Amino acid sequence: MGQTRHKICMVSDFFYPNMGGVEEHIFNLSQCLLGRGHKVVVLTHSYGDRVGIRYMTNGLKVYYLPIKVFYNQCVLPTMICSLPLIRYIFIREQIQIIHGHSAFSALAHEGMLIGRLMGLKTVFTDHSLFGFADASAILTNKFIEISLSDCNHCICVSHTGKENTVLRAKVQIERVSVIPNAVDTALFTPDVSKRNNDFITIVIVSRLVYRKGVDLLAHIIPEICAKYENVQFLIGGDGPKRWLIEEIRERNLLQHRVTLLGSLEHSQVRHVLNKGHIFLNTSLTEAYCMAIVEAASCGLQVVSTRVGGIPEVLPPDLIYLVDPTVPALVQGIDSAIADYVTGKQMCPFKAHKQIASFYNWFDVTKRTEVVYGLVEKEKQKNLGQQLSSYIPTGVLPYLLVVSLCYIILYILEYLVPKKYIDLARDYGQSQNEPHIHTKVPRKKRGSNS
Amino acid sequence: MSYSMNDIPLESHLTQKRRMSHCELEAPVMNGKKTNGVVTRRWRKNLYETRGLPDNYTDSSFLEELRKNINPSNITTIEAISFAASVSVQLNIVILFVIVFVWLDNEWIAPNAIFVFSGILTLAGYFLHTFKKSDMLEKMSKDLRTVLIFLAFGYILSPILKTLTATVSTDTIYAMTIFMFLIHLIFSKYGSPQVSLSDSLSITSSIFGSLMLASRLVSPLHAFSLLTTAVLCFVLLPFVMFQIDGKVCITIVLSATTTYLLYVISSTISCVFIGVTIFLQLVCPLCYIRWQTYKENIYGPWDEAVITS
Repeated sequence: MGQTRHKICMVSDFFYPNMGGVEEHIFNLSQCLLGRGHKVVVLTHSYGDRVGIRYMTNGLKVYYLPIKVFYNQCVLPTMICSLPLIRYIFIREQIQIIHGHSAFSALAHEGMLIGRLMGLKTVFTDHSLFGFADASAILTNKFIEISLSDCNHCICVSHTGKENTVLRAKVQIERVSVIPNAVDTALFTPDVSKRNNDFITIVIVSRLVYRKGVDLLAHIIPEICAKYENVQFLIGGDGPKRWLIEEIRERNLLQHRVTLLGSLEHSQVRHVLNKGHIFLNTSLTEAYCMAIVEAASCGLQVVSTRVGGIPEVLPPDLIYLVDPTVPALVQGIDSAIADYVTGKQMCPFKAHKQIASFYNWFDVTKRTEVVYGLVEKEKQKNLGQQLSSYIPTGVLPYLLVVSLCYIILYILEYLVPKKYIDLARDYGQSQNEPHIHTKVPRKKRGSNS
Repeated sequence: MSYSMNDIPLESHLTQKRRMSHCELEAPVMNGKKTNGVVTRRWRKNLYETRGLPDNYTDSSFLEELRKNINPSNITTIEAISFAASVSVQLNIVILFVIVFVWLDNEWIAPNAIFVFSGILTLAGYFLHTFKKSDMLEKMSKDLRTVLIFLAFGYILSPILKTLTATVSTDTIYAMTIFMFLIHLIFSKYGSPQVSLSDSLSITSSIFGSLMLASRLVSPLHAFSLLTTAVLCFVLLPFVMFQIDGKVCITIVLSATTTYLLYVISSTISCVFIGVTIFLQLVCPLCYIRWQTYKENIYGPWDEAVITS
């Protein structure tokens, strides 16, 4: 192929067994990168008793670091406590590129800092949007500005996401690429036979939290149910706002028309989607909405709020975009139902084909590879240059943190020298390749047989 | 990394735009496809079409939807000063309460007088508060019961309340009281109802502060009358204050009274008080108005939608 083989480490707090857009993204991207011959290792924190190294499909090596979760599935960003371990892994796996995911992930920022101090290249994918109004946003924006000021390249999942990242993290504009998420369209195929044609089923698959617009949903359900006799709701997902939907359902005596399925496995999502005619998304903010792409890929008519990056995701003939208000959403559902009744909606299979041509992970991987190639070519910075890039953020005490990390790395180099660290054998490396440590076992094996 | 990289992106992206606008003609290579120097259709803000542009291409429409200061708060100077007045009224109340303590402590006044005086004030305030309401009689009988219960239990328990913190040294008591009253001032309800989250904290801390002061007094009766005054000042008074307009006038009257009463105790403190009042009442609101111009709120499609219902 004539291309370089990258050794990439994906760092994020969010990974399987946790479920969500980021996890999905990391897994699929890693799989495609492995398929294209790169080496990929995933670094995340421990989940329950899941600590240590695990191999996933195609030998995707996952390090579950023994770090306790601090808040909201994130580790406490101590900067120095997990440094020896992370350094050891980077050296052991001969990593060249650190790829951090999600602005919320403390581990990603920590890993990127350590990686940069070790002279590795860093790429960061931002999966979320932030406002600028409240105090918590100001704090997180400052934090991400510090973290990204020395990052080689940023990837955003939508153009709106790029605008947001450039504004809030003050990253140089040409260092930000837009590479959307994708959906494994082979998994999300339409199956019209599963639909119940006595009813028009409206499907909602999302976590039931405020940011996903559950409060809007709670107003829409009774209104639509009163308006149409033959509409039923199918809601997949769980969350702190589930009680709200349950309460609405009970108060309006809609138990037979609103079904709550609880949290779904990713593999179940397709079956749920195939039971529906219309997919409803009420998110209040969204960088890139995977759920609507999955739904459209299953051939559902998608009604969604016009927020964040959603207008960029689907072409107008596949989506009913409305404002995030109750009347507008009801109107959107009205027109979707009217189109369904009159048969004006797009053929599910045609929609599926279209989505498949828009989004696939191979394309995403190719575009990410371009970023890796760019980053690899960049000149390595020395400590002085690295420190000076933090100065414009105005948080000068952070320079001390970086310096401390550097000193600790130096001490570690003395205590645990690089040359004494075992290099991990790559997965799938053929057995007959020469390797120093295989000498002794080979003899034993011979004597046994 | 050069310094310019971390410039404010808004400015830097303008120069960027000019440079990037050539991109369309140069048609960079993407996915190995060459577009022969002609890009037929313009870049559009969507994710499902790739037009042979590199992923870090920035269009001239970048940040087009950025809005700044959509709803500027047009607060006039008069409004700002009257908002500040509610803070300074609260400060005055706290200081007046402490003055009552000082008077009781030095036995310049009999506790009975304080009790009667505060009783009369409470009655006046109560009628002012309830007159506008319809179900006055029903409410009054209920409130009377509450008052009787409070007075009976307060009187019975006042010896205990007085000795509660008697063993603590006076310096600690004063330091803690100042601390508690500061908490009270920080968290009390100043007009805007959405910040009433810590309302109970404010009341609790002020009552706790006055409880500690009560332990320095000579007799349980003194302690009882001080606590009655505390409840009057910190629990009941806010209800009345909430209804009264013209805070500025109240502030002037109250500040004058406080200054005089403080002057009787110590001239230095009264000077400090005058300084603080001027700072709170004039300097802070004027600075607030002046600094409004530095405010820059950014809005755009990335903002979380607000549910209006």
